[in-house]
Amino acid sequence: MNLSTTPLSPPLSAPLSSATISMMLADARLPVGGHVHSAGLEPALSGGMPAAQVPGYMLGRVRTVTLVEAGTAVVARHVAVQGTGQGVFGAAQLAVALATVDRAWAARTPSRAVRDVSRSLARGYQRLAGTLWAEHPAVVASALGSTPPGPTLSRPVLLGVIAAAAGLDAESLVRLVVYDDAQTIAAAMLKLEPLDPAIPPGWVLAACAAAEEFVTDLAALTSADAIPAWGAPESEGWAEAHSRTTQRLFRA
Amino acid sequence: MLENSTPSSSAPARSLRIGVAGPVGTGKSSLIATVCRALAAELRLGVITNDIYTDEDARFLRSAGVLEPERIRAVETGACPHTAIRDDITVNLLAVEDLERDFNPLDVVLIESGGDNLTATFSPALVDAQIFVLDVAGGGDVARKGGPGIARADLLVVNKTDLAPYVGVDVPAMVADAETAREGRQVLALSRSDAASVETLAAWVRGLLVEHRAGTHTPQDPGPMAPHFHADEEGGPGLLHSHDETEHVHDGEPAHTHH
Repeated sequence: MNLSTTPLSPPLSAPLSSATISMMLADARLPVGGHVHSAGLEPALSGGMPAAQVPGYMLGRVRTVTLVEAGTAVVARHVAVQGTGQGVFGAAQLAVALATVDRAWAARTPSRAVRDVSRSLARGYQRLAGTLWAEHPAVVASALGSTPPGPTLSRPVLLGVIAAAAGLDAESLVRLVVYDDAQTIAAAMLKLEPLDPAIPPGWVLAACAAAEEFVTDLAALTSADAIPAWGAPESEGWAEAHSRTTQRLFRA
Repeated sequence: MLENSTPSSSAPARSLRIGVAGPVGTGKSSLIATVCRALAAELRLGVITNDIYTDEDARFLRSAGVLEPERIRAVETGACPHTAIRDDITVNLLAVEDLERDFNPLDVVLIESGGDNLTATFSPALVDAQIFVLDVAGGGDVARKGGPGIARADLLVVNKTDLAPYVGVDVPAMVADAETAREGRQVLALSRSDAASVETLAAWVRGLLVEHRAGTHTPQDPGPMAPHFHADEEGGPGLLHSHDETEHVHDGEPAHTHH
């Protein structure tokens, strides 16, 4: 039996719900290499942040870098949906449009280490998208925009592309980005500062609840210029330091 | 970003990818250094290391001077070395593909697993063949304990045979135990100071490369776990068996993952 060459595409007659796509993309078992990431938690703890502040760290990200990630993903999704809707764009034009969104994200992500890690994680998503939705114009365009060792797209842009290809609505996409960031921290916490494993999921829900007030506005974004530009300088400093350490469990 | 990009040229050559697994301290890095030392003059080589806590293995290999430092790359495994070589091999696949692209063409890429336990094996989707490494200092009885790597890796190495007199291990007996556990698959008693054993290892790699290029080598899965016992839910006698290439899924046995 050879399953390696027979990826199955979802039948068009049975569209998937956003809930299903969200579940798959939020699942830590999704094979995109996510288990080597801690959403900045290991750099933060190594940098001296007390473990007791992790719930606050999660909430801080919801109000800063996660808004940038979610806004970028939503705009990338919008561009991908618009560009493939009526065949107005060719793949090359769509790739340029996605690159514009990517530049807006990069301008809002001053740490080179954070950008590098996001682009590296995005390649796992690119691999997945290239297998599941290989023919989708946005996926084709994103592959044009990712040419290692040259430039590659960031993770939120790839999430937006996948959202367009898989049929994930914008609000679900925002919630996915928020949940994934918080849950990545929660899972990494159990390796770095073990505690009763039933406790961090409560922090995740608190972070998701704190993000609800932003969901509608973020989901309505259509322009790269309008992507929020909140930063977390201390966290970025920790990420830079972590990228130079020789002793780490997580890539970032 | 796009304006700086160049269209990707034709796909890089697909190397022979060899995994090296085995418990901590049995000499995986040293074995890779030995292979590089023996073959670097005749083959184009690359190395990927999977470290658990550090990039120690990559630094060891770079400092050994057996290969250009740029051809040795480390990947992080999020404290799950077994996941990164078996379940979600994404980071390792990307690292291998990057290496094949940056040093195209490569003949062989050696992928070292993080030192784990007796049950960690590579996915055949990541490596074409795998070496499982034990050493005499770990105890003469380890080969008898079996497990997927010991029993069904493409090659089992019993390493550090030069230490046998100091640790009271009978190498021929340990090799014989291993051959029994492996039902005739190859076992190599290796010491980096024993030139004949090193040449046998080099010849094994050369032979595999010939088969790989001829398309006659098929990657085999050693299996995810050792032969083990399932209690019979009906209260019967139960069943001792092993999972192999014709593996079946047990109803009700939960999927297992690490993240």
